[in-house]
Amino acid sequence: MTTVEPALETAPSAVEGERLTAPPGPDASRARRRRGGLTPYTLLTPAMIVLALIVGWPLLQLIVTSFQRFGRAQVFGAPPEWVWFENYADVLSDPVFYGVLARTLIFSGVCVVVTMLLGTLIALMMMRLPKGFRLLLSVGMLLAWAMPALTATVVWGWMFDTAYGVVNHVLVNWFGLEQYFQHSWLIDPLSFFFVAGIIIVWGAIPFVAFTLYAGLTQVPDEVLEAAQLDGAGGFKRFRLIVFPFLKPIFLIVTILQLIWDLRVFTQVFALQDIGGIRALTNTLGVYIYQTSIAGGDFGQGGAIAVITAVLLMSISIYYVRQVTKEEEL
Amino acid sequence: MRKLGIVALGAAAAITLAGCASGGTGASEEGAEIRVWLVGTDTPDEARDYLKATFEEEHPDATLVIEEQSWDGLVDRLTTSLSGSDSPDVVEVGNTQASAFTSAGAFLDLTEHFDELGGDDLLPGFVEAGSYDGRFYAAPLYAGSRLVFYKKDALASAGLSVPTTLDEYIANGEALAAANPGKSGIWWPGQDWYNALPYIWENGGEVAVPDGDAWDAQLSSAESIAGLEQVQQVMTNASAAPKDGNETSPEVGFCDGTTLQLSAPSWVKWSILAPADAEAPGCPDQEENLGVYALPGMDGGAAQVFAGGSNIGVSAKSAHPELAIDALEIILSDEFQTIYGENGLVPAKLSLADTLGTDDVAKAIAAAAGNAKLTPASPNWADVEAAGILQDLFVKIAQGGDVAALAAAADEEIEAILND
Repeated sequence: MTTVEPALETAPSAVEGERLTAPPGPDASRARRRRGGLTPYTLLTPAMIVLALIVGWPLLQLIVTSFQRFGRAQVFGAPPEWVWFENYADVLSDPVFYGVLARTLIFSGVCVVVTMLLGTLIALMMMRLPKGFRLLLSVGMLLAWAMPALTATVVWGWMFDTAYGVVNHVLVNWFGLEQYFQHSWLIDPLSFFFVAGIIIVWGAIPFVAFTLYAGLTQVPDEVLEAAQLDGAGGFKRFRLIVFPFLKPIFLIVTILQLIWDLRVFTQVFALQDIGGIRALTNTLGVYIYQTSIAGGDFGQGGAIAVITAVLLMSISIYYVRQVTKEEEL
Repeated sequence: MRKLGIVALGAAAAITLAGCASGGTGASEEGAEIRVWLVGTDTPDEARDYLKATFEEEHPDATLVIEEQSWDGLVDRLTTSLSGSDSPDVVEVGNTQASAFTSAGAFLDLTEHFDELGGDDLLPGFVEAGSYDGRFYAAPLYAGSRLVFYKKDALASAGLSVPTTLDEYIANGEALAAANPGKSGIWWPGQDWYNALPYIWENGGEVAVPDGDAWDAQLSSAESIAGLEQVQQVMTNASAAPKDGNETSPEVGFCDGTTLQLSAPSWVKWSILAPADAEAPGCPDQEENLGVYALPGMDGGAAQVFAGGSNIGVSAKSAHPELAIDALEIILSDEFQTIYGENGLVPAKLSLADTLGTDDVAKAIAAAAGNAKLTPASPNWADVEAAGILQDLFVKIAQGGDVAALAAAADEEIEAILND
């Protein structure tokens, strides 16, 4: 039996369940924490005010509009009539809306998967490439990223042009595929979304690739080396080491892609003008525009927009929670 | 009454704003800038220069700026810009789109200025398009008419002559396409619905007719179906244009030789004859070979074609309504309108019809304009156009879809919008 000198007082720590809890700090630090209680809120205030003004106010207006019968005359000053949930009932009982919704969800789902897959592969390739080629690839991707969506769509639209497009020309003259002579790429909805998907994925890959490449450079080499010595192959190393390391990055990038793809507008809108059938190729963003701004029914367009916003927010909240959980662990 | 209130408010705001701008001098127009929105490239540069020079000569303290807009998405852009605080002062709008804005109170009431702007000399159909509820909001700007452009050598080498009936025209198109595989006997991209209207009308059909307070869409009537079937016949047998293409650049196919005939607004002549090194290049070497005639009707004579054209009004939110009306008066002056006539557009005034000249184009324009017809006069018609219902319909018809079923479905959609 030995006795412990009371002069050397160690702070007792405790194990609560499986978590290690820190010893209670001295009184002084507790006071500091209390004083600091207002600081985060003070720091948040300016951003909150800006957000409330530029996001909150229009959002509030949107919600108000969605409860009104609001046409073009109301835009020019006629008082709107309150119809409460009539716009929502109209939208939710309209089969066209569900068609648009399903089309949007499937299309953005496919786009996100393809973007993430190709983006990851390119990021992994960048790790292996010699410096010169990596620079070349980076510059190329930066150019694609910097290209405005409208310009990109117009140029891709020219490439897929029915009469003069380079794609048909190459398929017919180089590969002898006569069925592509004057082939219309946009008239069939599936083929329309194939072209739209190419434009969207092409524009989104650089962001994914750069972000993941930045993450990949942070994966410790020694762990990978150890795994290699243990006989883990390339795919196994990616699945068991790289992916868990980068999981938060993957999550965040996937959410961003999903949100961007769900509300995609420019590419689909511009492509519809080049060709295709509007009613069969509308996605949520374009449908809202068509109902409210082009069609002059701002009430119903507002209702669709609110439903879309709720949808986007619920997806985002789910993923943001996933990310914060990851960080807590 | 409400509209008067808006106008009064607008005027009050204008006076206040003008007061701010002018400082102490009291001259309300000092430093004023009148923004005129012209749409598309139809208005010749000569006319633009004339408008700016004349206006600034009459109002030395004010400036006039012409901002060119595109036809694409015009209704949407006007809705947002005319309702905003930074509204343009004078705006051109397509004649079929005008009622969407006159009915919404977007334009200044010009009833009192009717006589100064031309009075009964103005094109009656366009005055009607620019009026709402007995008040006059938007004046005619110009009318275009649709003409058939053709390659004289192609028609001659196929042993054909200029058709005199619609059936002959269709047969010619089919014969040209058969004799020149891969080329268009009548170039007709699927989205171009304006060109389909004469077929409906000539067969006795209509797009929609008023039925009491409501509208009754007529595309699925027996007469309209007959017309739509002819449309399908032409699109399938005579046209090699993309089935889902739009009609924005007809000169491209004409100049590279794949289009032998096409029906288009009269100003397309200038697109075809544009210099070869222009931004939108044409083929001036084809001038001798370029023939033109008015689309023939069922029983000979000119067909009832779509009366395309524009109206022009003053924004209710214009900061300088007086100056804007002065600018509008210049636009409707004989001098300005004569420039339109000399460039192949039908002037807004009946008395200036002879400025079109006496050549083939002028004769064809006069023949077509004399028998032109409009889309249904409903304030909601612009929404039918904006929703792309007709574009979709004719793309599907071009694809070889079942005309009767497609027409019935389109009727339902059109009625839903017109009777909303």
